[in-house]
Amino acid sequence: MAVKMTSGGTDATKGAIRIDDVVKVYDPDGAAVMAVDHCSLDIAAGEICMIVGPSGCGKTTLLNAIAGFHSISSGAIYMDGEMLCGPGKPIAEPGSDRIVVFQNGALFPWKTNLENVAFGPLMQGKLSKKEVYEKARAMMADAGLSGTEHNYPGEVSSGLRRRVEIVRALMNDPKVLLFDEPYRALDSLTKSVMHEALLDIYYRNKVTIFFITHDLEEAIFLGHKMVIMTTRPCKPKKILTIDIPHPRDYSVLTSRRFRELMEETSGAVHEEARKAFAAGEKEG
Amino acid sequence: MTPASPPPAPAGAADADMVDALRRALPFVSLGPDLLSRVAAIARRESLGPGRRIYNAGDASDDIYIVLSGSVQHTFGAEVGAKDALRILVPFEVFGWAALLEDRPGRLATATTLQHAELARINGEELMQLLSADPAAGQAVMNSFATLINTHYTVPETRARVREVVRLPAASRRALPSAGEMSALQLNLYRISLWLKSPKPYLMIVGFIIFIGLWYYASEVWKLPRFKEMPGPTVVVKEWFNPDPAYGLSVYTPEYYTHIWNSVRRVSIAFVLATALGVPFGLFLGWSPKFREYVFPVFETLRPIPILAWVPLAILMFTQTESSVIYLTFLASFFATALNTMLGVQSIDESYTRAAACLGASKWQVFREVIVPGSLPFVFTGLQISVGVAWFSLVAAEMVSGQYGLGYVINTSYTDVKYPTIVIGMITLGAVGYSTSALVRLLGDHLMQWRVRELALGAR
Repeated sequence: MAVKMTSGGTDATKGAIRIDDVVKVYDPDGAAVMAVDHCSLDIAAGEICMIVGPSGCGKTTLLNAIAGFHSISSGAIYMDGEMLCGPGKPIAEPGSDRIVVFQNGALFPWKTNLENVAFGPLMQGKLSKKEVYEKARAMMADAGLSGTEHNYPGEVSSGLRRRVEIVRALMNDPKVLLFDEPYRALDSLTKSVMHEALLDIYYRNKVTIFFITHDLEEAIFLGHKMVIMTTRPCKPKKILTIDIPHPRDYSVLTSRRFRELMEETSGAVHEEARKAFAAGEKEG
Repeated sequence: MTPASPPPAPAGAADADMVDALRRALPFVSLGPDLLSRVAAIARRESLGPGRRIYNAGDASDDIYIVLSGSVQHTFGAEVGAKDALRILVPFEVFGWAALLEDRPGRLATATTLQHAELARINGEELMQLLSADPAAGQAVMNSFATLINTHYTVPETRARVREVVRLPAASRRALPSAGEMSALQLNLYRISLWLKSPKPYLMIVGFIIFIGLWYYASEVWKLPRFKEMPGPTVVVKEWFNPDPAYGLSVYTPEYYTHIWNSVRRVSIAFVLATALGVPFGLFLGWSPKFREYVFPVFETLRPIPILAWVPLAILMFTQTESSVIYLTFLASFFATALNTMLGVQSIDESYTRAAACLGASKWQVFREVIVPGSLPFVFTGLQISVGVAWFSLVAAEMVSGQYGLGYVINTSYTDVKYPTIVIGMITLGAVGYSTSALVRLLGDHLMQWRVRELALGAR
């Protein structure tokens, strides 16, 4: 990682997210369940914001609201001052400025890796087919994926698939990347490689990252900021700046500051996990 | 990306680092210090930036490579048959071993640096010469190459034959087609030869022998009570292949083929119609909740009605027997196809449609790019069921109304007391039915390469 960086990666100018007093109530069979409870949060442009909380706490509900998959009950979400959803517009329009990297991966298995990467711009029709494929090849080479262009996603390792998926998102010059526990299913060794690869890609493409996880180590290693959520209903319990300078590599994990941050936060996370366990929250 | 032109450093005296690196590379582990330093002397260092192509599949293979630092991505072409098509190579792993294979085929894989990488290159011919100076130690190196290829690179042994250090006379060496020049026909022949080497065909033959044997003993030798009237296999075969059949139907009579042709034609028309209408219908059922709410209850009420119950209405609806037979055959196929297609659409993971929406696809694009290909596996399962059901209902329809056809043969042979002909009709039905469903499966495999390749690699 040769990129010189001084402090928090906020030299991107677009992609600031403001979550303002958002409430989400699910009402499946008359029994209202509050998933998100008056949640407010500011994420600066180009910031990596890690959302930490126990499984099923409602983090994904928040992500789905930003992406435009789910409506909100009240409150508003803004991107760069523009309202995505809010009063009079309960559900945001999904768009290529906010792209989700899914928990179980959502590369189309019937398309080759290259066709997957080219998918966004081809659908939007902004560039010619030739230009799209040229850009796709270049971006894949950039992320160390050359040679796998004509493989189907099912033929490569899960770690590589995740990288292809991130490249597919970046092809669209998104302002925000929304990660829904993408590395949850990976073993810890692959995970550590993926973390460094993600940071490497991030240093070259400044985007805002909204990253859901329940892995504290992952949160501290990657994030500029970490938000510990309460268990359902979900709202920020503790917001914390991670003052370890970027660029980071794996030596961070053994640093003293890292251990201090772990100590500082693990109590709060553990407490919420215990509450969630007692409430019998479903995994998910 | 252009292949990296090799400006290798001149082969200097064996440096200690190189000897050390070679000692850590699997095939050279067993080499003595003397031979090791001589191998190190012919190794050249090469340093490449990230994302550089080292070679492409099909390039000439002269050198083998050892990773000294960094990492290299190694991807086989699909035709090589490697179980793991993709490998990331880390320091002291060896690749480019095609240079050591018999008849030196072209490169089987594509190799690209992932990060800045330092490599050692050794010319295959030079290495073979060095190794032949000490045949025992040399052969050990070649043997460990063979192991490496089979285990680490998961390439079938027969495809990657490592050369012997003491060269055998050319005649006794087997020529193996290389990946590049392997045609589709050769590949199929290769697959058939693999199949013949596996126990599968022999188990199949044994299964048939047991079945026919039981039939023979039950009906002709022991004459068990229930089997007394049943024609035995010898009677059936004699009648079937008789130029002058006692009951008028054998492979020598043109009527036999008229019957087969009539049945095949009816099934084909019904199947094509059922597919052309059933697939789009099923896609819309799965895709549009509103459409489903209107139509599905009606659909589910009609679906369980047995095809025989439709016969009177079919005869009333169509004045010609021919179209009523086709209609009955079509009906059963249509339900099977439509239902499976609908389930196929519903089986598509929501994250695919969401991802497509994120990436800016319109509703129609989502349908074309996600819904249709995503439901194909279920659609083809449905089509296989649909062919089976088509034959099933065809025979029912032909037995009730109609002229010619295998169902007609079976039914009339019964009333005319031509018992062996019944069995001839049944066996012919089985064989023709099996072939049609195999055809559908082949078509499905052809259209779903991604799935074939994924399944070939095993669930990961």
